[in-house]
Amino acid sequence: MPTDTEETDAELLARYPDARLDHVNKHFYRGLLHRELRLNRCADCGWWHHRPKPICPSCWSANVVPTPVSGTGTIHLAIFLHQGPPADGVDYATPHPVVTVELDEQEGLRFTSTVVGAANDEIVIGARVQLDWIERGGRPLPAWRLVEGEQR
Amino acid sequence: MTAATRNPSKDQVAFASAATTGFVRSAGEVTASSLAIDACIRAIQAAGVDRRDINGIIGDDNAYVQSALGIPAVNYHVGAGVPFGFAIANAVGAIASGQADVVLAYHSIYRNPSNSRSAASDPFRMAAFRRMAAAMGGGDGFGPDSVAGAVGYTAWASRYLHEFEESRDLFGYVAVNDRSNAARNPAAVMREPITMDDYLASRMVRWPLCILDMDVPIDGADAFVITTAERARDLALPPVLVHACTNGMIAQNEEDQTPSLRNHGQHAVLESLRAKSDLWIEDVDVFFPYDGFSFITISWIENAGWCGLGEARRFIESNWDEKGNRILIDGRVPVNPHGGALSEGGTQGSGHTREAVHQLQGLAGERQVEGARTAMLLLGGFFFNSQGAILRRP
Repeated sequence: MPTDTEETDAELLARYPDARLDHVNKHFYRGLLHRELRLNRCADCGWWHHRPKPICPSCWSANVVPTPVSGTGTIHLAIFLHQGPPADGVDYATPHPVVTVELDEQEGLRFTSTVVGAANDEIVIGARVQLDWIERGGRPLPAWRLVEGEQR
Repeated sequence: MTAATRNPSKDQVAFASAATTGFVRSAGEVTASSLAIDACIRAIQAAGVDRRDINGIIGDDNAYVQSALGIPAVNYHVGAGVPFGFAIANAVGAIASGQADVVLAYHSIYRNPSNSRSAASDPFRMAAFRRMAAAMGGGDGFGPDSVAGAVGYTAWASRYLHEFEESRDLFGYVAVNDRSNAARNPAAVMREPITMDDYLASRMVRWPLCILDMDVPIDGADAFVITTAERARDLALPPVLVHACTNGMIAQNEEDQTPSLRNHGQHAVLESLRAKSDLWIEDVDVFFPYDGFSFITISWIENAGWCGLGEARRFIESNWDEKGNRILIDGRVPVNPHGGALSEGGTQGSGHTREAVHQLQGLAGERQVEGARTAMLLLGGFFFNSQGAILRRP
């Protein structure tokens, strides 16, 4: 349930006309607007999962709680877009980095977004990253920032 | 994990015919379904069946296609989805179970304005694309900052290069192989041979994949008549038996959550297919690993067991036919001899299936593998659409 300071479902939908929002994944998107990366965690067995499901895929408990992650992890997949549809703040001439990060919370739990504040040749699989937030298209977007000198 | 291993339909269902419109960049003032209808008529005529005998239909616009072709009544009709292995599996299930006796299966490919400038200049295609986009709704709200969809293959290609300290010219072998093969296929859209230098100089789209790693947008369609093995024996062309077929998908199937290069949909397919089939890679005369992206072909080659994981370079280089500038396994087994999705055109597997049928019927023209008896189709990618089939000539 939204707190007093959070959006109603209708307000949330209006902020994300480009996404398939529903009653299961709305908590994740509401978190983004508040600059919090809330991934589903089972309150019974502790298992994390993403994308949001109505139950814990491990134990089938319905007691799944959108829970902020620590925001640290390791780059697992790394690509560079040389072209694509126009998007606010995206420069394909650079080209534009997109990485999937394996989060420290759990093996195989991953989150994908861009990297900020780094040259492309520093963005490599195995590099350690920390969650940061940028603005894109008038909404907060979780993004990754390299952690100096760390490699895994 | 409990893989499906029973195979009561083994060799019970057969392709009676396969046909294509051929593929071009632009077929002009056509629709997706008009292309399908063209291919269907060719397939029905090639098989020598009467349209009144068809009582099953599998494709993307069944009501319209049945109505246009004047097929009086069907008892089985289902959408196919892509790649084409879903249609094969549906046809085998329908025929083996008695839900249909003669199935018409088709797949149409229609360039859309999101990946074709000429399609974007056609107002009817633009309108059709807008209707489709509206029906599909939005994405994940992450715009380009996502690896959902086709981008997922580029992402896992980056992982492959990292884990095996490989370089992207490995993918170039797949592109060169396909183009060399397409030169001998009159139905193919891209028939000018390319070299590894051409590959390395081609336009980067999403590193590590360039434009020549990605299938070609085309107009065209393939169609097939599929029936019981018994009935197929009495028709115009040699029957091609479906020896085994399967699909595969694992629990963590979202592109960025897929566990690893050692555990995805291809592994689920291969475990089941291997258990169902009496024939395996040593029996194969012609091999069809999917190539919607070149990297998928590398994965199918390794996961099917032609070589170990990370060993594709050694395998391809030691099975490279310098004269033909293509892969020829053990000097005899071609890989996607029609040119595949990268050069015949992006058929989502219907082209691979059609060529497999033609090779086993002896109808592959100058591409014909002498005496081909067994074909292996490994279609689709890692996430939602891995598929496999073994076809054989009785």
